Order: sequence, then structure tokens, then C-alpha cells
Amino acid sequence: MVSVLTFIIMIVVGAVILGFIAVSAMFLIWWERKVSAHMQTRYGPMRVGWHGVFQSVADVIKLLLKEDIVPAGVDRWIWWFAPFFAVVPSVMVFVCIPFGEMFGIDLIPADLNVGILYIIAITSVCTLGIFMAGWGSNNKYSLLGAMRSAAQIISYEIPLVLSIITVVMFAGTLSMQKIVEGQKEMWFIFRPNLAIAFVIYLISAVAETNRVPFDIPEAESELVAGFHTEYSGMKFAMFFLGEYTNLFIVSAIAATLFLGGWQGPLLPPVIWFLIKTYGIITVIMWFRWTFPRIRVDQLMGFTWKVLTPISFANLAFAGWVLLK
Amino acid sequence: MIRYFINIITGAWSLIIGLMVTLKNTLRRAVTIQYPTQKLPMTERFRGLVDLRVEKCIKCYQCVKICPTGCLAITHSETPEKKKELVTFKYNMELCCFCGFCDQVCPTQAIYMSKIYEIATYGHEKLHIDLLNPEKYREWLNPTVK
Repeated sequence: MVSVLTFIIMIVVGAVILGFIAVSAMFLIWWERKVSAHMQTRYGPMRVGWHGVFQSVADVIKLLLKEDIVPAGVDRWIWWFAPFFAVVPSVMVFVCIPFGEMFGIDLIPADLNVGILYIIAITSVCTLGIFMAGWGSNNKYSLLGAMRSAAQIISYEIPLVLSIITVVMFAGTLSMQKIVEGQKEMWFIFRPNLAIAFVIYLISAVAETNRVPFDIPEAESELVAGFHTEYSGMKFAMFFLGEYTNLFIVSAIAATLFLGGWQGPLLPPVIWFLIKTYGIITVIMWFRWTFPRIRVDQLMGFTWKVLTPISFANLAFAGWVLLK
Repeated sequence: MIRYFINIITGAWSLIIGLMVTLKNTLRRAVTIQYPTQKLPMTERFRGLVDLRVEKCIKCYQCVKICPTGCLAITHSETPEKKKELVTFKYNMELCCFCGFCDQVCPTQAIYMSKIYEIATYGHEKLHIDLLNPEKYREWLNPTVK
């Protein structure tokens, strides 16, 4: 009987998370269009609903109704499964994202004791989806995009993980919930070397999500659309969903690790968590609509010559601070 | 080594300057307008569809003569008191090149270029306009917004 109840709870939690991901991705697409529009002194979507809030809904309906075109030369199996490999890992990460607490229940599907390690491990699988898409498309641009994406994500994973390790050293745990509780007195971002870690994390996170200024895997001016050149309809939408879910995840992790997670005065914890997460997302969007795309060699030079040495130095400094 | 750190600091500073530029633009009002529902008034010398003030026309045929594409056609009759009256004043919008010569040449400013610019239609017959009909541009003055 208990197992049936557990099963039902699992289904309900899964459905809630999937619903949240879909709504969040649609909101983020709308929000991105609005942010970009206002930065360019335009209005952005204004027609569908109040200030175009239902524009994304209309777009999703359009994408659902579109024909599912399979180009003749693709490697069918790999091509078919790539979008799922791009989305499923990002959904799996939600297991360890602490949304706060409500009525005494912790809003985290499972507080794993290796939480942040699990998240790092799972998000790396997203690259596999992008690489499968590039390989399976049988198209030079897609393959180039996929190769770039793999190189970029492997390079930026190092400073990303090093900055996360700094947080873990201060918190003394890998569990997301405990990291949040460790910031009860002071958010981690207010400690000097964790502030540096935050900046490094933010830069690496932008690169991890393949966004401007690090969007060389899908650089329109060089690679058409990179790995999703050959995709259309709902499969393209899956990549989009994966991209925006990743954006949410990196921002949620940043909010959890550096900005005190769901903790905050007056408002309920969930609201605090969402405010912080969407705030960081807005900053990342701000980057996107300000900075130009950098070259591949600049990208690699930046991570290996600047970010990685600084994060190692920061790590050593953090160790010295802790042992002092 | 020093150059390495100077590069990082100047680079970061230039990025911050860039971010401030976009932030300043975010706080500005949008310069675009919501076109079909919101329209800008056309400029003083804008040349839209040709229109006619019937009562001012003296039937001198100057406009017909100067029209480079021959899109205007007039016929008139004379009353017993030797007064001229317009019978037809046809304007073929299909041929019109919106040069504004008729407007310039008209001695009484009877024929003039209006500000109507949303002039797409579904058929040729709608482009042959009778300028004597007061209702002729009603459809184009208030295009239905869907």
C-alpha cells in the first residue's frame, strides 16, 4: 500500500515539475523577447494577450501543428533521439533543486547528499544531445556546431566546477538543502572569495548554456543555426525547451549556492527563490543583448588563460581562509 | 604579468560600460509604434492617393495634359449659361506614379495629393476610381483592423 502511495506521489511530483518546466520555458521565451525589445527601444510582442503574454503559447501551438520533416540524409536513430537527450537531463536535474518550503514540507523532490555533484554530472549529458544532433544531421554546419559545443562545454566545466567547489568547501556539504541552510546568517556572495567564485560561475554558466556572448555552437552568421539547422517543428521546440530549462537550472543553482537560495524576509520561500532565479536569468539576458559574440580562439583563450587560473587561485585562497 | 591583469580589468570595465548603455536604453520609451492600431500622421509633403475638391475645379484639363502616365480622364458638359460642369473625373490608380505634377499644375488647388497610403486592394476594378464620388476613399480611410 505504501509503495502505491509513493508511486502516486512520484507521479504527481513529476507532473508538477514537467508543468513548471513547460510554463517556465514559455515565460522565459516571452521575457527574453520583451527584455531584448526594451533594450532596443521597441515593444516586443504586444498582440496576443496583455503585452503579448500568450505569444509563446501561440508559438508552441504553431510548432506542435507543424510537419515533422526528416531530411533524407540524416542518421535516423541518432537524429531522432538527440532532442530527448538534450531535454531529459535538464529535467532530471530538477530532482535536486530546492524550491523552498511550504506548509512544513521541503519543496525538493529528493535532497540527495551528493546533490550538487549529481547536478554537475547530469548537466554534462546535455552536451551529448547536442553532439548527437550535430552528428546525426549529416550536415557540415551542424557537425561544426556540435564540435564547438563539446569543446566549449568541456572547457568551461572546469572553472564552473572549481567555483562550485569553493562553495562546497565553505558549506561543508554537497546537499543543496544544507547549502541553503548554511547561508542563514550571511549569503555566500558576501564573502570576498565566494564573490569571485560567483562571477566565475556566472560567466561559465552563460557558456554552458550556449548563450551569447558564448553562442558559437549556433552562431547564425557562421553556422546557419549550428546543431539545430536540420530540425523543425516540435523537435526544434525540444531543443529550445532544453536550452531555456538549462538557463533556469544554472540560474537556480547560482541562486542556491551564492544568493541564499529560498531564504529571505517577509515573502514565502518559493517566491524568494523564484525572484532570485529570474533575477539572475534577467542578468544573463542582459548580457545576451549587450555583448557581441566572441571568436572560438578567444573563447578557448579566455577559459584556459583567464578563468581557470583565477578559479584555481581562488580555490587555494579559500583553502587558506578556511585553515587560517 | 602586469599586462595580463590590466587586460582583465580594462576588459571588465568595457563590459560594464556596454551593460550601462543597454540599461539606459531599457529605461527609455520605445520609439516604435503599434502600427495598425496606432499610426503616425503623414508628413506635410507626403504624396498619397490623388483626390479632388469638386467645387474648385475649373475644367482647364491641365492635370490631364501634364500627367506622365495618363491616369486622369475628364469629360465635361456646358450648361445653357455657358457654365462648364464635370461629367466624369476618372482616376486610374493602377497607372498613377504619384509624381504630384497634377497637384503642382492645378491653378485652383482642386486636385491634390491626399495622405492615404494604405491602398492595397483585392481587385483591379477597385483601382479605377471615380473622383466625383464622395464615398470613394471611405474604405481606405478606415482600413478594417483584424
